[in-house]
Amino acid sequence: MLGQFLSHPPVELGPIGPELVLAGAGVLVLLGGALVRRRQPRALLLASLAGLTGAAVVSVSLWRWRGHATVLGGMVQADRFAVVARLILLGVAALALVLGHHYFERLGEERPEFYPLVLFTTLGMTLITAAADLILVFLALEILSLSLYVLTALSRRLAAVEGSMKYFLLGAFSSAFFLYGVAMAYGATGSTHLSTIARSLAGQTGNQALALAAVALLVIGFGFKVAAVPFHMWTPDVYQGAPTAVTAYMSAATKVAAFAAFLRVLMTSFQPLTWDWTPIVWGLAVATMIVGSVLAIAQTDIKRMLAYSSIAHAGFVLVGVSAATQEGIQSALFYLLAYAATILGAFGVVMLASGRGEEHTSLGSYAGLCRRSPLLAGLMSLFLLSMAGIPPTAGFIAKVNVFRAAVDAGHWGVALVGVLASVVAAFFYIRVMVLMYMQEPLEDVEPDPSIVPRLAVAVPALLTLLFGVFPGLVLGLLERASVLRW
Amino acid sequence: MSAQEYAFVVLALVGTVAAFRLVTARNVVHAALYLVVTLAMVGGVYLILAAEFVAWVQILIYVGAIVILFLFGLMLTKAPIGREALDNQQRGIALLVGLGVLAGLVFLIQNAFHWSDPKIQPIHVTTGALGESLFRQYVLPFEAVSFLLLAALIGAIVLSRKDERS
Amino acid sequence: MLSEYLPIVVLAALALAFAVASLVVSSLLRPHRPTPAKLAPYECGIEPQRLPKGERFPVKFYVLAMLFIVFDVETIFLFPWAVGFRRLGLFGLVEMVVFIGLVFVAYLYVWREGGLDWNEPVRRSGEREQVGEALRAG
Repeated sequence: MLGQFLSHPPVELGPIGPELVLAGAGVLVLLGGALVRRRQPRALLLASLAGLTGAAVVSVSLWRWRGHATVLGGMVQADRFAVVARLILLGVAALALVLGHHYFERLGEERPEFYPLVLFTTLGMTLITAAADLILVFLALEILSLSLYVLTALSRRLAAVEGSMKYFLLGAFSSAFFLYGVAMAYGATGSTHLSTIARSLAGQTGNQALALAAVALLVIGFGFKVAAVPFHMWTPDVYQGAPTAVTAYMSAATKVAAFAAFLRVLMTSFQPLTWDWTPIVWGLAVATMIVGSVLAIAQTDIKRMLAYSSIAHAGFVLVGVSAATQEGIQSALFYLLAYAATILGAFGVVMLASGRGEEHTSLGSYAGLCRRSPLLAGLMSLFLLSMAGIPPTAGFIAKVNVFRAAVDAGHWGVALVGVLASVVAAFFYIRVMVLMYMQEPLEDVEPDPSIVPRLAVAVPALLTLLFGVFPGLVLGLLERASVLRW
Repeated sequence: MSAQEYAFVVLALVGTVAAFRLVTARNVVHAALYLVVTLAMVGGVYLILAAEFVAWVQILIYVGAIVILFLFGLMLTKAPIGREALDNQQRGIALLVGLGVLAGLVFLIQNAFHWSDPKIQPIHVTTGALGESLFRQYVLPFEAVSFLLLAALIGAIVLSRKDERS
Repeated sequence: MLSEYLPIVVLAALALAFAVASLVVSSLLRPHRPTPAKLAPYECGIEPQRLPKGERFPVKFYVLAMLFIVFDVETIFLFPWAVGFRRLGLFGLVEMVVFIGLVFVAYLYVWREGGLDWNEPVRRSGEREQVGEALRAG
């Protein structure tokens, strides 16, 4: 009977190993927080970190997966693209857990749900990077979105609840668009399976008009999640309202996960329609880069400014996506890696420099930060330089790569707009640095002196420098991971 | 026209009128009740397409449970239930967007089928066969649903509990 | 398959016709002499009272409704599983055990967090001391 269980239908759980580990850890931490009478946030943190480490180990072992390309009824793709995306996500989650643990501890608020919710969100995110069926993509998207809505409201401040509400309403709306896109794709090709859709469209058996509508609707759905203009309206309010540690997590991880799924769907299912969807992505990229960079200038709150900056970065990743080549995938992956490290670190510094909770997040309170904490000011400068795309940081290499991929694919116009947007964006990054180094302190804010969260911020800083000076360390790996087949 | 098509026209008409009343009703409780009608009519369409199980899921979950949640939600809010001006200043823009989407979809479906009669042959899938594909091919989405439910319940508890600080 | 639904359609049509006809006929035939007692929702029993203005229902209704939906969905999935149980075999059983196990985890969590207590505050008492302790420990 056991033989029958294992052989029919064939169950290969290897490729979802990371998700199984995360699921187990999430349930354990959830029950640990609820059942154990004396709650130990530190024990929950350590258990969560152990779960993330286990998932990372399993992910790495999948690099040499020799089994079927898709498993579990064709639902999950076992490729290196998923491995790389997962590792980025797991790293972000681990650092964010450390930051969040410190954030709530310092506020004196007990939020035992923070740990399992981050694990569930990460589960949804890693699942979406490997999903090979639109139904699973949708479910994973919902798991990560639902958990994020709750995480946003976790601090119970009015701004957090308001942000969560906006995120939820607009997110539900975008999910509806996404689902309609899935229905259209099914209507056009008779399948929700990514490679079956591609085969049907390549063989001209699918209905092209419906397939194009599917692309448009799916782009709207993903556009909301990556905060591309004109689907970005929720971003500033949510990023500003959410607890800063949660903002750090979602700004970095959500974009990586959504872009990974976006790339997979466009480059496999709709690869036969590449000529039709590149102009859409092209337009999105241009609008996102310009609007994100220009609106960031007018912000007076550091969290809002970084929110608009993250919108602009989505535009730069879209430049890589619009290339629709292997080089494009590779440049987008590298950009996501650099962006995730940078934005996570930047929000980490904001968390440490803001006193308790969100007391001091106006740009004015960054005046003279170098006097009060040279270390934080230095780290922030490094992250800002990376966002502006100035060598020797990872952001520079990332921008060069996406522009080169776009030019190689013949989209020199997008690359030109991207360069101009970078110049505009550099203005407000430099402005913060001027504030930190060349002005007298306006407020007397004592930065958080703790050591552990500083280490958690130093890790992305080191990576930003490392990938900026020796990009070859990861570019080779990313090249081998940038193959999406159908 | 066959009996199925007659039934479809009736269901579609009632459902559309109810949907229209749903967004124009000034009393939110009435709107929720119109939603019941719309959802039930959609369930009827599933039935015509011989998707029996899905039809009853539609009735049980959407008509039975979701609308109840809506009504509870309405009771929880402080807003008095009654003839309220449930409106903001964006009626015109909303109308424009709605009409735009309608025009786009009509064009699309016309383009896809060229006004030809898309001979719909309902394939009768038994619940057993449905279960088999659900529990064989779609194992992973099925288990993912349980995580979705878990996350939703955690959210309900986290958001509904009283804050100790205040 | 659909012809099996014909009796139901006929029954629905008859029920609708009967209800409409009764209302129409009675409105034509009945005398119209309202008194306050007749207009009350219940002619005998407790006077229904509106909630005071600005008063909200307890938020526990919401948790309860969410629980209801979760178990509703679970039951829905049990049905096709039960129909195909013999063909699905051990594999189907394991799947369903995992699924129900996860929903049970949710149930356990709601119970421990006090979502099922009607009169207690949703959070457990003595929580503040624990926060203090955690702070001191950290």
